[in-house]
Amino acid sequence: MRFRRPRSWVQWTRRVSQVLFLVLFFALALRVRISENGVPSVDADFFFKIDPLVSLSTALAARSLAVVAIPALIVLAATVLLGRFFCGWICPLGAVHAAASWFCAKRPVGSPVERRTPGHRVKYVVLVALLVMALFGAHWTGVFDPIPLLFRSTATFLLPAAQYAVEDSSTAVYQADPHAGPLHLKVLTEPLYKFGRNVLFQVDRQAYAGSVMIAALFLLIVALNLVRPRFWCRYVCPLGGLLGFASLRPALRLKNDEKRCTGCGQCARACPAAAQPDRPGEWLPTECFGCWNCVASCRRNALAFTLENPITPATTAEVDFSRRAAMGASAAGVAVMLGFRQNPLAQGRVFGADLVRPPGALAEGDFLKRCVQCGACMRACPTNALQPCALEGGVEGLWTPHIIAKVGYCEYNCNLCGQVCPTGAIEALSIEKKKETKIGLAFFDKNRCLPYAFGRECLVCEEHCPTPQKSIYFVNREVELRDGQKLTVKQPQVDPDKCTGCGICEWCCVFRDTAGVHVTSANETRHSNNQPILPGGSGSPY
Amino acid sequence: MKSTRREFLKTSAVIGASSLAQLPALSQAAAPADMCIARWKGDAKASMNETARRLTEEALKAIGGLGRFVNKGDVVWVKPNMGWDRTPEQAANTHPEVVRAIVRLCLEAGAKTVKVGDNTCNDAPKCYKNSGIEAAAKEAGAEVVYLDKNRFAEVKIGGKRLDSIPIYPDIMDCNLIISCPLAKHHSATRITACMKNYMGVIENRRKFHQDLPNCIAELTAFMKPRIALLDATRILTAHGPTGGDLADVKVMNTVAAGIDLVALDAFAAELLGNDPAKIETVTVGESYGLGKRDYKSLNLKELEIA
Repeated sequence: MRFRRPRSWVQWTRRVSQVLFLVLFFALALRVRISENGVPSVDADFFFKIDPLVSLSTALAARSLAVVAIPALIVLAATVLLGRFFCGWICPLGAVHAAASWFCAKRPVGSPVERRTPGHRVKYVVLVALLVMALFGAHWTGVFDPIPLLFRSTATFLLPAAQYAVEDSSTAVYQADPHAGPLHLKVLTEPLYKFGRNVLFQVDRQAYAGSVMIAALFLLIVALNLVRPRFWCRYVCPLGGLLGFASLRPALRLKNDEKRCTGCGQCARACPAAAQPDRPGEWLPTECFGCWNCVASCRRNALAFTLENPITPATTAEVDFSRRAAMGASAAGVAVMLGFRQNPLAQGRVFGADLVRPPGALAEGDFLKRCVQCGACMRACPTNALQPCALEGGVEGLWTPHIIAKVGYCEYNCNLCGQVCPTGAIEALSIEKKKETKIGLAFFDKNRCLPYAFGRECLVCEEHCPTPQKSIYFVNREVELRDGQKLTVKQPQVDPDKCTGCGICEWCCVFRDTAGVHVTSANETRHSNNQPILPGGSGSPY
Repeated sequence: MKSTRREFLKTSAVIGASSLAQLPALSQAAAPADMCIARWKGDAKASMNETARRLTEEALKAIGGLGRFVNKGDVVWVKPNMGWDRTPEQAANTHPEVVRAIVRLCLEAGAKTVKVGDNTCNDAPKCYKNSGIEAAAKEAGAEVVYLDKNRFAEVKIGGKRLDSIPIYPDIMDCNLIISCPLAKHHSATRITACMKNYMGVIENRRKFHQDLPNCIAELTAFMKPRIALLDATRILTAHGPTGGDLADVKVMNTVAAGIDLVALDAFAAELLGNDPAKIETVTVGESYGLGKRDYKSLNLKELEIA
């Protein structure tokens, strides 16, 4: 490795900025899981607040200006003046791609210089299609928006994998205890384990059903840096597309001093965006990340960013997005939206039994209009109950949160998911209100529940039931065993007026494959038409 | 068990110490009690923080003080009830001042380390904090341990119901466990107290409920308890073991300590309005030889603390 004297302090400042924002991003995702007195130790929505696409698409889908965050507007306004500095300096996923493309790509002197290709257009198509979908209430922006995408990948894959690696390897060493005489290997691994448990992670690790698909998308887009540097950022990213539209005529512009330029092309090889810095008058402000690589690469100091009147056209090259492409993208958005809706679930004709949403989740249609699939709720959930949907909520509900009670239950005295939701898809209920909110109803499976199926005592579910007047009670019933012996056992039953559907009964059931009691979404507070149980108990209330 | 040498040393130390202790005991008027019930008869308005501390201190002193059980340099595991995300007044967890007093007395008796931990049913950080026990134990100098579910190691029990169970490794390594639950209603066993409390240091416990009395007895026999303390400063009379409704909480201002867990549990059963003879965990525990149901037949000291 050869160290060079930095030719541009701006380039180094930019690298430091990227690292700091990336570290901040991971720190927030890490710390949002740790709560003190029922409040998360950090406000994790900083990056969602500065993401203009989250604000714009959620506002469109939810028809609400209240979801627009001021910092996002500031970022957008700054982009109009400075270009896509967000991509180059702030975006944590951009930083991941920058690191990956540095690792992957080597573009030696003399290699072909990259130009704008039709591929650059794709991100504008993706953006417009997603916004048209959002306009019709089909909010899928979070699947591709870099901030929710990275948060989801971090929450459900990167951090759990890191914790798993630290804890499982050190526990394996601890339990096997390999040693040579008095020298124990665990002397080295235990401090690492203790640091992980006591300082870094602090709480039990999580695992997410189906997170392999989330991880696969993340790893795929990182791997695409092998094809082109920052492939995702320059061709696909819808936020990049939005910021590209905003940076048509920035005040900060790249100037190529033709007297000095020898046309060597090193600046273009250094450009991760293929923004054509080497062509006087054809630099592409809508593609440029403002990374300063070109300036730093020029040995003759021919390039410089200068401030100019933003009214005048920046360059002969405008956004490569024709009216025809816009119409095509809109048509595609409408088609996908219609596709989402051709599903009895999406039309509200039926309810998903396994679609037990977190407490405070809005009615399904409104919930989907706001949820950006970021995974913040899943990360904050102390019991790992909140899991990413596969198709339980239709394709439209991909990676939105639902409770898998077999994995974890909704903690009675907890409302963290609503507190961390950046878009209000899960309402921030007070703890008192949350305790009264029903997310579902428990049903005993008499073919599996021990006292019913095998005439054995059990009642673990009743023991765990958290409502002050237990929602599970038992009835003494006589059962006949194989040898004719008669035995009275306590058989559990659910009081539907009291049961909140928290699922601790299903979670604590002795059966870990399929529990003897199962919670479905029936009776959930958020849907009056999914409440089949008449309140007021059996018999006449009068 | 881990090392036979350690066990041998420990046993011989105990035998040695107890034979030495016999000599002065002869000259003393009263040997320490086997069980003590301390009841608060002082100011009815005294705060429970105060009464809990005093009652714990006096009950332990009456059975010979923790010096009778803790040797210098010992590692002690204090095992309260703190399995539920409830506040002290909801009476689902041991009173934090009881734990604070025990931790302090252990350290005063020469313990090297006092660990406090429970395999909670609700989210552990919430249980530890909202029970008030984490703060109290830490202030008293204990190491508060969050049990890592991945570290439990299978241990041979050799019972009819329990052949082997996963036990937390620190439990196997410590010199003394002090079970210090509070007396609560439990719908399966009717009461839960000292013996059932051992279910908080193990895993795979859900299947116990098919035969709790025998499982608890086998587990208790394996743990070879030497001391326990029953917190009855307030008890949970219904909707246990979780509670949550203050109407189910009854203030008793009582703490019992002793070397016989069956006796302590029988006393807990009485407090909760049951006949110990009809509580299966108690009768089965007695049939295993773990202690005596008739706690009044022990060397019992009943104290009225003011």
